[in-house]
Amino acid sequence: MSAVTEIGLTYAGLRRQAEEKATRLKAQAVIRIGSATCGLAAGAAAVKEAFEREISKRRLPVKVLETGCLGHCHAEPLVIISRPGFPGIAYGFVDEDLVELLVKNFLEGDDPCYEYALAALDPNDVFPTFEDFPRGVYEKKIISGESGIIDPKEIEQYLAGGGYGALAEVLARPPQEVIREIKGANLRGRGGAGFPAGVKWELCDRQEERERFIICNGDEGDPGAFMDRSLLESNPHLCIEGMIIGAYAIQARQGYIYIRAEYPLAIERVNVALNQAREKGLLGESILNSGFSFDLEVFQGSGAFVCGESSALVRSMEGERGVPRHRPPRLTESGFRGKPTLLNNVKTFCYVPPIIRHGKDWFKGMGTASSPGTALFSLVGKVAHTGLVEVPMGTTLRELVFEVGGGIPDGKQFKAVQIGGPSGGCLPESALDIPIDYDSLHEAGAIMGSGGLVVMDDDDCMVAVARYFLEFTQQESCGQCTFCRLGTRHMLDLLTAICQGKGDLKSLDTLKDLAEDIKAGSLCGLGKTAPNPVLTTLRYFREEYVAHIREGICPAKMCPDLIVYYIEPEKCSKLCNVCVGSCPVDAIYTREDGLKAIDQKKCVKCDNCLKTCPPQYQAVIKLSPPEKLAELEGKK
Amino acid sequence: MSEQVTITIDGRELSARRGEKLLWAALRNEIYIPHLCAWPEIEPPEASCRLCYVEIEGRERPVTSCTEPVIEGMVVHTRSPRVDRLVASAFELIMSDHHLNCAKCPQHKRCELQKIARERRLRLRPSRLTALPRRGERDDSLKTIYFDSGRCVLCGRCIWACRELARVGAIGFSRRGYKQAVTTFGDLPLAETACTECGECVEICPVGAFSYKINAGGERESL
Amino acid sequence: MEIGGSEGLLPVEEILSRYRNDREKLIPILQQVQEKLGYLPLAAMERIARAVRVPAVEVYGLATFYNQFRLNPPGDHQIKICMGTACYMVGGQIALDSFERRLQIGEDETTPDRRFSLERVACVGCCTLAPVVVINERVEGKVTPTRVDGILLELGLEGLPEQKNSASEEGGKTP
Repeated sequence: MSAVTEIGLTYAGLRRQAEEKATRLKAQAVIRIGSATCGLAAGAAAVKEAFEREISKRRLPVKVLETGCLGHCHAEPLVIISRPGFPGIAYGFVDEDLVELLVKNFLEGDDPCYEYALAALDPNDVFPTFEDFPRGVYEKKIISGESGIIDPKEIEQYLAGGGYGALAEVLARPPQEVIREIKGANLRGRGGAGFPAGVKWELCDRQEERERFIICNGDEGDPGAFMDRSLLESNPHLCIEGMIIGAYAIQARQGYIYIRAEYPLAIERVNVALNQAREKGLLGESILNSGFSFDLEVFQGSGAFVCGESSALVRSMEGERGVPRHRPPRLTESGFRGKPTLLNNVKTFCYVPPIIRHGKDWFKGMGTASSPGTALFSLVGKVAHTGLVEVPMGTTLRELVFEVGGGIPDGKQFKAVQIGGPSGGCLPESALDIPIDYDSLHEAGAIMGSGGLVVMDDDDCMVAVARYFLEFTQQESCGQCTFCRLGTRHMLDLLTAICQGKGDLKSLDTLKDLAEDIKAGSLCGLGKTAPNPVLTTLRYFREEYVAHIREGICPAKMCPDLIVYYIEPEKCSKLCNVCVGSCPVDAIYTREDGLKAIDQKKCVKCDNCLKTCPPQYQAVIKLSPPEKLAELEGKK
Repeated sequence: MSEQVTITIDGRELSARRGEKLLWAALRNEIYIPHLCAWPEIEPPEASCRLCYVEIEGRERPVTSCTEPVIEGMVVHTRSPRVDRLVASAFELIMSDHHLNCAKCPQHKRCELQKIARERRLRLRPSRLTALPRRGERDDSLKTIYFDSGRCVLCGRCIWACRELARVGAIGFSRRGYKQAVTTFGDLPLAETACTECGECVEICPVGAFSYKINAGGERESL
Repeated sequence: MEIGGSEGLLPVEEILSRYRNDREKLIPILQQVQEKLGYLPLAAMERIARAVRVPAVEVYGLATFYNQFRLNPPGDHQIKICMGTACYMVGGQIALDSFERRLQIGEDETTPDRRFSLERVACVGCCTLAPVVVINERVEGKVTPTRVDGILLELGLEGLPEQKNSASEEGGKTP
């Protein structure tokens, strides 16, 4: 029997087993509970317990599964109930009361309680599916399609959907063909810079040294980004399969998945997945009886943003301080242990199996000419439907924020969208029609980054945001090179002064000059991009800087030193004491007339009174500059 | 291919060893390029001080000369508006974090910082940036050597010398970012470490961070 | 309490032998030692350095480089404030301030009775629930100053102002 047939038969056997199991599962009622970190934080564990309790109380033959994240994080805890004879239905904001209702009415009875449903998963005549909503119209799920549906701790569920089929196909072909396919698809690295993955694979393969390593970068450090966490928690086998294919392409025998320590659940689920893959013969000696051997292990990061930089990541794997080094040589020439090393991001590896399965032309049929395929974003901040979204490249920011994300909640105005994390930039309204791809975003001064997208409204101060990011990079700078270590420190000092109303207009020039020098002079990518949040806010929101400096006004009323809280006597009610109770420092007192007022000396500006003042009064307001207070009090 | 190559620096044609780093080829021919962290035997170079920028014809941006191997026909300019701006900026940043008190510093007149300032006509005292708070305390625990971290420019040469020349390994980098520092294990006083007071750190320090103690008679303290 | 004598370092020996004194495994070794001992005592770092044959200062350099490593024993309850972008925008700093005020310690500090320690962490990836704090590994979302008091009350912090909402009819006193 030829090796090729042997691989095919081995895989077919695994697949058949998995499908049989899947068919049995389909024949019964199944509850899927979104149990990624975000779901668990929203209370998924309690929801699961409640379901199990209700089910056993009623002795129902129902299976409860812990799945990953469906991407609709704003509606967590989220569950999907599938019953033979009904479409799968997703329910959001599930609490124990709803659990009882659903078990009684839908699992015991026949009423799917549509009034509580978010959407159906399968097309049907009764209830709309996710695709029928604006978000679904734009979404195109290539790598996140099975997230939230399959149980990440059950390899069979991945296999049943055709998982590891791409690997079986690849193992029957010469490695160079795989590289050609990925290169032909023009898959660009999803870690941020967008370097063509196929070219990187080829560079690695061209090295004379035969001992090679493959590493997956799951050190997702950008604040506001959680795509990699979600993928690894929801569908770890997709990334693993992509890595094995990559390993075969460059003939590596050992690989590592580098996951940051802050993601314990991802580490746990990937380890479970690796063990199951080993048991099935998909990892280890002679994978699928092909003769190709490869193994993978998890390397747990230790909490240093700079380790997202590939040379720093490799150094930390070698037991060193995670300090980037001068390049060249590239990692593909001299990486882990000085050997040729292929390092790609989690998402990049996740795209590999679908590209192999459907071909490069299918992939290039999506997105834009220079950036084909889709992009996975974590959409957070001041947007109605926060969550994880996958859309074709070339979708505009406006579509993403207003259609997919459902716009800005609470009647507020859109102000900016921060894209690309600490290396990216803040783009204003006027940039919203930019199609999302590597090149257009770069032109606008931001970067694609790894896919974190934070929406900001008129309550968000752009100077404070710039300061926040500088504080972040300043803390996370490795400290070796002059520009990043000291340059970001001076920029932070200047921004802090501006936020406190102590800056001067000259400091804006110094900021800009320093920013340009840090960009041009830093050793690594972290330093070279650290000034972007400042440069973009200076470019698009200069008037906000000027307001802080000239008038001591924070237009967004966010910078604590430039605001005071004030209770408007005309709106305050004698009958209400909510703010008094909410104040953690007893700064609110009752005046002789029974209305409330704030003792400014005690106030710590925690915003709690403003949040708790009942909507019918809305008596607490913020004033900027603080001098306005004297004006108002003088008037009385 | 011959071992020697011909390169041009600032219009001067000179010969260099193929593959050697541009910085050393220039310095050997008495063409000064500012540098702090570089040292001929430290390989690969740290390239952390960011002072040795030059322009190489055909290259889009200025490059650090300590990392650049020379190749036949390379044409180099040690000065250009872009290089000058980067060097001035890096130098000002370093000086903003350097406890400036030359009169009391034993390296006065031998200090690499003074040399850079002189060669490039730069001011020692930062002009557009505010001086940062002085870092660290002076470690006086040893008999013959002291370490003043306020003067330290974090070039890391002492760490290399302590490890590779003295074979001791009493000092290293700790922390990161702005808080990065040259320290001992657990920030202990040097006298509580394996330090042998061999003096390699003093010899290699480009500034006056590691210095010999001088006794009342103006002599170096001896063990 | 410093873990010193040879007895306190037994887990370190066990971990070192599991990794065969491999220098490359320094980070996993430090992670496991911290997991066992709660922090990295100087004596343990010295022992590890000897075993993997590097200067002790190199291990110290690692331990102070990475956020994960702790050089002092943590409190019984570890409170971590997420400082990701989404959390910062909606009051992460306010949550941190509130904890600092109530516990009377700053970030990266432990209360004198060692019951609570406070630190800020980089984004934990639960941005949709911002602002987020992590209490002993459990993620808690949408944390306001009022919720901070609630959390501390659940953890048994005494000396908190009694839950004022019920007693709010009185109001505060005129200053």
